[in-house]
Amino acid sequence: MRRYRQAAGEVGERRERSRWRAATTADLAAVGYGLLVVALVVISYTLGAVGWLPDDPARMDMARLNAPPGPGHALGTDFLGRDMLSRLIVGIQAYFLPGLLAVATSLALGATLGVVAGYRDGRAEALVTYLSNLVDSFPRLVLILLVIAAFRADIYYVMLVVGITGAPAIASLIAGKIQFLRTKSFIEAAHVLGLSTRVIVVKHILWYNCAPLLIIQATLGMGEAILVETSLSYLGFGVQEPTPSWGNMVQAGANYFFHGKFWPSTAPALAILGTILGFHLLGDGLNNILESKSAP
Amino acid sequence: MVHPGRGAKVTTKLAAFRRVGVMVVRELALTALLLLGVSLVVFVILHLSPGDPFSVLLEGQAPGQAARASVREALGVPTTWYGRYLAWLGNMAHGNLGTSIRTGVPVAGEIVRAGPNTLYLTLGSLLVTLLLAVPLALYSAWRRSGALARALTLAVYLISAVPVFWLGYVVIYLCIHRFGLFPLLSATAEPQRHGWLYILLPIIVLGVANGTVSEVTRHLREELGRVMAEDYIRTARAKGAPVWRHAFKEGFLLPMTEMIAAKMPFVLGGAVIVEQVFNWPGLGRMAWQAAQDRDFPVIMGITIVAAAFVRLASLLRGVIYAGVNPRTATE
Repeated sequence: MRRYRQAAGEVGERRERSRWRAATTADLAAVGYGLLVVALVVISYTLGAVGWLPDDPARMDMARLNAPPGPGHALGTDFLGRDMLSRLIVGIQAYFLPGLLAVATSLALGATLGVVAGYRDGRAEALVTYLSNLVDSFPRLVLILLVIAAFRADIYYVMLVVGITGAPAIASLIAGKIQFLRTKSFIEAAHVLGLSTRVIVVKHILWYNCAPLLIIQATLGMGEAILVETSLSYLGFGVQEPTPSWGNMVQAGANYFFHGKFWPSTAPALAILGTILGFHLLGDGLNNILESKSAP
Repeated sequence: MVHPGRGAKVTTKLAAFRRVGVMVVRELALTALLLLGVSLVVFVILHLSPGDPFSVLLEGQAPGQAARASVREALGVPTTWYGRYLAWLGNMAHGNLGTSIRTGVPVAGEIVRAGPNTLYLTLGSLLVTLLLAVPLALYSAWRRSGALARALTLAVYLISAVPVFWLGYVVIYLCIHRFGLFPLLSATAEPQRHGWLYILLPIIVLGVANGTVSEVTRHLREELGRVMAEDYIRTARAKGAPVWRHAFKEGFLLPMTEMIAAKMPFVLGGAVIVEQVFNWPGLGRMAWQAAQDRDFPVIMGITIVAAAFVRLASLLRGVIYAGVNPRTATE
């Protein structure tokens, strides 16, 4: 296939040098760590779902309570002598599918709103800005507590709230991108060639040109969902003991923490830290590489 | 003799002043509109929730549809949803946020009592976040690609991912259990030696681990870098004028206000957790207790007050923007 040489930096047109080759080492390292975390989470989720665990997460080993990492229990035990590694793996169940629901909701809603606002400027755009400001007015956790009080402490309700409140930000990003793309010749050409608006929007705009943006937002959204789930289960509104979740594991270890047994609380806290760090680094690294304007 | 250019100068000043006025009025209108939206969202959640406040009155009577309707009519409850919304809004406008289901105490009074504690916590935490982020941003704007700047960026990412509750435990353990810097209980009868210092702990913990440090640092650094590359800074530098004074407003003041306004909801949300960890008698703990008891009026009142607070911060940002750069008013 012939490759046309064109001026570098134009959106939607082929670049001579790919953005990945031009990326800095720091950004590549960030993306690498993030992908590692994503892979670990997905693999651990699958292991937990099929029940292929190093130990039974409910079996108590009374001889070894609050044990540090060592032989027998690779990551130690909690206050009832249950295997920490198994509980950490099972704890992923608490946020994995709900988090995906939140991400899917905000992407679907955000993309729809964004396309409408981007294609019909003026009133629709003002509406998206208004919605975005409205959603940003609520402290997320307080709004979630309100929903919990009004309905019930169901993680899927909560994640629906997380998804809906995440949508306007994505919408305004996409609307901005569409307004920029509409003036480009390849979109005008597509219109002139008689392609339907639906095809242009879905294929040429969303798929070819907004995919990086959507992936980045999905990554950041998943990080947010994990933060919300762990915070809520820490506060006692999520998954309840004996079912493990990283948040309630930190909480359960608290009493022992003050008596010098740091590990039962710290292990899940480190899991939260490492995972959220991974999603943040992945999102920001991808953003620097794929969306920055200064890249060649 | 009057200087010939003076009249024109006064006119432009007046015009600028008027533009600021227009901008402020517009911000006020937008704030009012958004607060109306906030109340509507809260009302819709209330409306959709399965329980019905009137069924409490008819408890144990297995009421039929007719009995329900007659109770509503006797109490003068509007039958349409918008009628009920307007009545509810009118009550709120008079400062009546309802009474707590659990304690029977008016919600408004409780919020006024606990509010200041949360106010200290959130404003103090914002200050801590900025004290952390500003030097880092300045340093990395100055030495963009140094090894230390890279290390600091990574450190900031790490800090932003620390779960705030766990950091709370670490700080409590270190300061109270290990080194005995503070008394275990804060509100005992006899005054403690370092008692007043105790309130600093939650402020520092929330300020460090509210998850916004990396974003604030990056925004400040990018804006400062962008402004420093502008032509007018180059001109200032070429003619030997103080660069810092020229870059201050756009490169520092505006991004700072922007970040304070944008991160306010995150800090308020973090306060719910930190107040829980430190047993801090503020709105966050109240919200937690209310959600636990499904005490709807309380959590509703707190949500509205918190949203109003966020809007106030945004309003302040709008006013500062208008004051610094009146041109934005005409956009």
